[in-house]
Amino acid sequence: MWEQQVAFWVIAVAMAGAAIGVVRANNVVHAALFLIVVFAGSAAQYILLLAEFVAWVQVLIYIGAIIVLFLFGVMLTRAPMREERGKLDNSQRLASAVVALFLFGVLAVFLIDAFGGTELRFRDSMVEVGSAASVGDSIFRQFVIPFEVVSMLLLAALVGAVALARRD
Amino acid sequence: MPINYFLILSAFLFCAGAYGVLARRNSVLVLMSVELMLNAVNINLIAFSAQAQDVAGQVFALFVITIAAAEVGIGLAIVLLIYRNLRSPDLDRVEQLKG
Amino acid sequence: MGTPYFDYHALAPVIVLAAVALLALVVDFVWKDGGRRAVPQIAGIGMLLALIPVFTLAADGETRVMFGGAFVVDNYALAFAGFFLIVGYVAVLLSYDYIDEGDYYRGEYYVLLLTSVLGMVVLASARDLITIFVAIETVTLPTFVLAGWRKHDIRSNEAAIKYFIIGVLSSAVMLYGMSLIFGLSNSTLLSEIGSVAGGDNPALFAVAIFLTLAGFAFKVSAVPFHFWAPDTYQGAPLPVTAFLSVASKAAGFVAMLSVVALGFFASPNSWQPVIWVLAAASIVVGNLAALRQTDVVRMLAYSSVAQGGFILVPLAVSGDNDAARAGFQGVLVYILIYAAMNMGAFACVIANARRTRSTEIQSFSGLGRSNPAMAVVFTVFLFSLAGIPPFAGWFAKFVMFRAVLDAGTTAAVVLGVLAAVFSVVAFFYYGTVIRRMWFHAAVDLGDTGSPRVPGALVAAMAITTTVVVVIGVYPQLFAKIGDLAFRAT
Repeated sequence: MWEQQVAFWVIAVAMAGAAIGVVRANNVVHAALFLIVVFAGSAAQYILLLAEFVAWVQVLIYIGAIIVLFLFGVMLTRAPMREERGKLDNSQRLASAVVALFLFGVLAVFLIDAFGGTELRFRDSMVEVGSAASVGDSIFRQFVIPFEVVSMLLLAALVGAVALARRD
Repeated sequence: MPINYFLILSAFLFCAGAYGVLARRNSVLVLMSVELMLNAVNINLIAFSAQAQDVAGQVFALFVITIAAAEVGIGLAIVLLIYRNLRSPDLDRVEQLKG
Repeated sequence: MGTPYFDYHALAPVIVLAAVALLALVVDFVWKDGGRRAVPQIAGIGMLLALIPVFTLAADGETRVMFGGAFVVDNYALAFAGFFLIVGYVAVLLSYDYIDEGDYYRGEYYVLLLTSVLGMVVLASARDLITIFVAIETVTLPTFVLAGWRKHDIRSNEAAIKYFIIGVLSSAVMLYGMSLIFGLSNSTLLSEIGSVAGGDNPALFAVAIFLTLAGFAFKVSAVPFHFWAPDTYQGAPLPVTAFLSVASKAAGFVAMLSVVALGFFASPNSWQPVIWVLAAASIVVGNLAALRQTDVVRMLAYSSVAQGGFILVPLAVSGDNDAARAGFQGVLVYILIYAAMNMGAFACVIANARRTRSTEIQSFSGLGRSNPAMAVVFTVFLFSLAGIPPFAGWFAKFVMFRAVLDAGTTAAVVLGVLAAVFSVVAFFYYGTVIRRMWFHAAVDLGDTGSPRVPGALVAAMAITTTVVVVIGVYPQLFAKIGDLAFRAT
């Protein structure tokens, strides 16, 4: 099992560092690049957790689509590509940091209290659970309604985004 | 492998995202911070799905990913709209309404 | 595993709405000139068409369970589905001339409106976390866009971005809470979460419930998660504001009611204090802030925050003694009545804004002389909002206080007293507008619009006034809906 633990820690440290990068970077494009590291790290963690299908969806949608959208957003709003010390943040940095640290402390204490002794046991059958076949089966048997509703939602989002962003 | 490894990592990402939402004034960066928080949710869901050996958590994560994509699309459309009218993507420039 | 069981009769309202939304999109695209008139008609008729299966299902009276309990069509779901469809129809009526006359995209507007209502109808039947999440996002995502529909007005842009940022942030918080609930109960079904809630849970369960409810509190703009509401309400196009203040708010309450009543109920210590604080804070802050507004839309925004607090009162006391039934009924009845009177009030504001091009309270001066019919109607809605008999608002307050009395605990009584005191405070700000209409001479506002009130607005006012007056005089009719909806639980 130690290989998994090593893999977890390497990826987790990279993700944590990149997450701080996203919220502290002085350059919008750098923040987007840090975000890629977090997303890719998450995909790797999903693979450690034997959720193969979700991992690939994560890569395709988050890195493939959402990051590209963000970069388009940066480009279209002409955010400067250079360092802009302090210009990207508001004046509540310290208070925000205190709030975030407090929240993290609270969550960590309660999580350790609730799941302190719980070990994940990986079995071969879990590979089957995380496969595209099993996920698809679940979506089209158990979660058909949310699936169909999401398709309407995506259509509405498309229509709405075009209507708003269109120059007229 | 303790499930808490994943949960604490997720809590950290969530709080980093919360910090970003509170401290950033550029709207694109605020949106990125929200994505960090949603990503934290997904890690939780996948970890719990592995714990329960149940695919429902993974399906939940897929829905979160899908809707996150829709949200970013709409969010950037709104940011673009504001940029056209104000020539700035900063949130605190948008302060016409008071009271 | 065979193919899943589909009950198309039970799904008919949702299917009709989806089909109508697609039809509206296609008609708008294909039929450029005629579509302008046709699309609002299609949207309105579609809402009414979707009501037909709601009635046939109600007449049938059978509880239909699908997908292992994830989607349930029972009286509770039907009561809210029917309500959302009527609200949707009134929203179409309110939008008709406003959207037609301004420089707006028309077809897209109604497609988004229909999609949002579709989310609400699904939400009424949703009984698991995934379906609730997807439904609530379907309700709110189109409204982010609608809030920014006046594209060239920076105030509308501001309304959209504030609403959007708060909306996605609250979704993230809500989802984090839901993910923890999923981890602790190993299920997304509310019924199974409900059986776990009664057991011995780690403290994290309470944290998870807190985060989930905080997410919903943003959606219903309960204090301290309300600060976006006045700005968004003021900046958004007026019909959208009416829709936001009623429909998307009601959707948040329905989600809250579902997860509390069916999921968390057995562990009252973890959700009751949260809702108690939200209710008390909303009542106090909402009413006090409404007092010092000079713009009627901002006043109604704070008034809706305060009314949201009143709606939460029965829920906050429902965990005590035997108050569960009275509490849930109280929430349901209050939401339905609030929707009718607030929608009606906004119809009057829209009509007045057409006349004076202003939403300042002083623009209502002299309305009693220039258009007495409208002044009477607006007075009815304001009386109703204030809870003065014989209009429906008093019955909403009555069911709220009945739940408080059924609970009978100190916390419940304190909340009840708070609600009573601030109901009186509310008289002042509703009264200001009424005084302006009847006892002040008209103020010359320069550029004035058309004094004619268009037919669609008259229809919207007629529907809402009828509801407000009829329920006010015969509340038994309405109490029966509440009784039926909670017969099963």
